[in-house]
Amino acid sequence: MSADSAAKAKPPPVVQVRDMDFCYGTSKALFDINLEVKYHRVTALIGPSGCGKSTLLRCINRMNDRVPSARVTKGEVLVKGKNIHDTDVDLTQLRKQVGMVFQKSNPFPKSIYENVAYGLRIHGEKNKNLLDEAVERSLRHAALWDELKDRLSANALALSGGQQQRLCIARAIATLPDVLLMDEPCSALDPISTLKIEELMSQLAREYTIVIVTHNMQQAVRISDFTAFLHLGKLVEFSPTEELFTNPREKLTEAYLRGTFS
Amino acid sequence: MDRPTTPSRPPLRSVLLRSRKHTVLGVDPQHLIRWFFGGNASIAVIVLVLIMIFLLREGIDFLPTYRHELQTYRRAGLEFCDIIDQPLQQNQTLSSSLRQAISASLETLSKSARDRRDAAFLLKRQIEDKTTRTSESLSQALEKTPPLPPAELAKLRSEVQKAAAAASASLTYPDLFSAAEREQLQREFAALTPEVTDLPPLLQTLAADFTAKDREARTKFASLVQAQEEFEAATEPLQAVVDELKQHAQETKENAVEFEVLETNRLRLLEAAAKEKDPDEKASLIKEASASFTEAVNLAERIQAITSRATELREQVEKYAQVIEKAAAVLPTDAGTGVARTMVNDVREGIPVHAQAMRKAAAQLDSWRWDKPVSIFTVIGAFFFGTSWITNSSWQDFFGFVPLLSGSLVIAFIAILIATPVSVVAAIYTNQFASEREKELIKPVIEFIQAIPSVVLGFIGISLVGNLIKDVSEWSWLQWVPGFPIQERLNMFNAGCLLAFMAVPTMFSLSEDALNNVPRAYIDASDALGATKLQTVFRVIVPAGISGILSAILLGLGRVIGETMVVLLVAGNRIAIPDFSAGPGAIFQPAHTLTGIIAQELGEVSRGSSHWQALFMVGIVLFAISLLVNWCARAVARRFEPHKA
Ligand SMILES: Nc1ncnc2c1ncn2[C@@H]1O[C@H](COP(=O)(O)OP(=O)(O)OP(=O)(O)O)[C@@H](O)[C@H]1O
Ligand SMILES: [Mg+2]
Repeated sequence: MSADSAAKAKPPPVVQVRDMDFCYGTSKALFDINLEVKYHRVTALIGPSGCGKSTLLRCINRMNDRVPSARVTKGEVLVKGKNIHDTDVDLTQLRKQVGMVFQKSNPFPKSIYENVAYGLRIHGEKNKNLLDEAVERSLRHAALWDELKDRLSANALALSGGQQQRLCIARAIATLPDVLLMDEPCSALDPISTLKIEELMSQLAREYTIVIVTHNMQQAVRISDFTAFLHLGKLVEFSPTEELFTNPREKLTEAYLRGTFS
Repeated sequence: MDRPTTPSRPPLRSVLLRSRKHTVLGVDPQHLIRWFFGGNASIAVIVLVLIMIFLLREGIDFLPTYRHELQTYRRAGLEFCDIIDQPLQQNQTLSSSLRQAISASLETLSKSARDRRDAAFLLKRQIEDKTTRTSESLSQALEKTPPLPPAELAKLRSEVQKAAAAASASLTYPDLFSAAEREQLQREFAALTPEVTDLPPLLQTLAADFTAKDREARTKFASLVQAQEEFEAATEPLQAVVDELKQHAQETKENAVEFEVLETNRLRLLEAAAKEKDPDEKASLIKEASASFTEAVNLAERIQAITSRATELREQVEKYAQVIEKAAAVLPTDAGTGVARTMVNDVREGIPVHAQAMRKAAAQLDSWRWDKPVSIFTVIGAFFFGTSWITNSSWQDFFGFVPLLSGSLVIAFIAILIATPVSVVAAIYTNQFASEREKELIKPVIEFIQAIPSVVLGFIGISLVGNLIKDVSEWSWLQWVPGFPIQERLNMFNAGCLLAFMAVPTMFSLSEDALNNVPRAYIDASDALGATKLQTVFRVIVPAGISGILSAILLGLGRVIGETMVVLLVAGNRIAIPDFSAGPGAIFQPAHTLTGIIAQELGEVSRGSSHWQALFMVGIVLFAISLLVNWCARAVARRFEPHKA
């Protein structure tokens, strides 16, 4: 495939954040962030609570737009080379390209099938065959198909917590996004479900670009290729995961990883 | 520890306080508080149970009482008469539409003449109104004895003439009259004085014109007029027999009822006598009892006088049926205007049906038995499926529930049909699209509606909405709406509109709550998938809140069914099942309701009578309906509630 070979030749960064400042009203939450998310790689965002990980993640699909008076005050965010704050950017298209999975699983109170098909339906897909195909493909990718193929019409809220979260992932990838944003997707799950989702993510990384916020260092080590460490709204260090964890460049990073952090 | 050492004996104050804290009249205050709260909760339950018991106690005797009344109705032979009398009523309906058809037909010929006559008389009245003062003083002067001097009379006369001339000049003469006629009218009116008793000549001509035209029209439609007369007259021999029997039956019934009253009275006296110790008192009680002794009515014998006429009745019915069928056959097919023609055609089709019904009724006479007992199921059926609610009748009271129920249901249905879209849409808008300032305006305004006393809404319904609907229904470009133009200002639709208005606050607030309770996470998920606001609202928020919205609608329905004042004032209070054959236009008919009938009649009936008990039965059913609706609302809320994540 030409896209694949081009990617191998020199994969262009899917998301670029350049010199970005972000404010909630008058209080600045992010300072001068520079970040490049590589094609088909997992990028982890770590850092102490309140440092702005979620805010940064939400900048990529402009979920912060809904917070009144929250805005980017400097710099820009590019998705596939396009500034997402340009006036000609269609927000619905952007969010179709940039899927999101939340900390707490939030399937709609609808059937499993309808949950997965929702993203396609709102983007105007009516063809039943295409929808069926997309639902099956997404559920397979989310490793749910074998468990659920016989009860697609069951209510999604009747699933277990781990299944619900995987369903949310299936729902997010049904529209074939370029980037998948995950905000602490495993923090509400038991270890087994967490393991399943981690496995799932390493598989998904073959076909999707993933940005994940996590509090779990081991998780970041296990699944991510790159890691960004944020502190008080500033990007302290951003490097390949192995490097960051074995040989941090910054004192602050080392302190945080050691847990001797005040 | 460097605290100062505490004294070994606690201070008196703290001992008192502690003891107060731990027991009140020897009881732990914790328990008291629990009892207080529990007591308040159970008061609600107890009151509810008491209400049910009270309603049931007053209402449950209704069935035996009504059964007894229906039994008397049968034994005295009233039922027998009604077999024929009831279907015979149809004759009046048919002949009144024939009469209408006739006047519509005559109208086509005589309308212009009549309009001219009426207009002229109207003008004359206006002149008279305007000259009342002067002409009255003239007529008073003329009656005076001794008569006034002629000079003074002349003065008065000239004043009258002046006033009449001025008035006749100031009138606007309609286009019905030609220029010459207008001039003549004005001249004649100017000459009007109280001394002239004859009509002005032109008015006389106009009146004569109309009479001539009318006569002409009547000869032209003679066959129709004659058919109508024959049709009406056909009932006479039959009605005579029925009336005779009815009178006999009624007498029997009155005697039977009187006997019952005296008999119960006598038994009560005897009972009292049995208990009485004092021999003198006892003797006088027994004497009184024997004085009120009456012969029981021999029903079997009296009914003989009625049933023996069955054959005669049957013959009369057959004769009647033949006569009216003949009249139907001669009804002209081309009677005047379109309206008249359809009316006549309807009657032509209606008459054979009516004749058939009469024959069927006559056939029933044989199988009727005066002594067939009235089963309790018949009574229950007569109440729950009875189609007439007739009270204070000299003939027979019927407590049929259907007219009231249908009125209540139709009105509630209209109200919910109107209120649902309004309140749900308003709730969606306020919850999802409105700015904070709009919310601050909309919510209190809608909730304020609840504070309007329903009597005030009733006023508005009578004075404003009624007229509005009537005026609108007369707009020519709205005539395609079924039921337009409407006849009655007070009708079910009017009541439904007002009840919708009353139900909106409940339904709005509850729907808004339901939407508010939709978890934020659903909205996040939908937004993150790129849904537009509208898509999120209609594909996620509304479906997720649907259980709350449905139960809001049901609770609104409960409120609407139980509402009394507005329906009493506005629904028109006609106790009849709405004529649904008129199609959806039936909603513009007046009706009575379950709540309205209780409010209206309970104050007037004597306590413990069958009517009183019937009203309590209605109350019981109303109570049951409200419970059912509320239960449904809860069930719906539970049924559609999304599983807790
Ligand atoms: N809607 C908001 N309005 C105003 N300030 C906000 C809002 N959301 C977050 N903030 C502030 O922005 C800063 C960063 O918050 P953010 O949620 O991005 O932190 P986080 O790194 O995701 O923390 P956690 O690990 O606890 O999720 C915090 O100081 C927070 O108080
Ligand atoms: Mg966060």
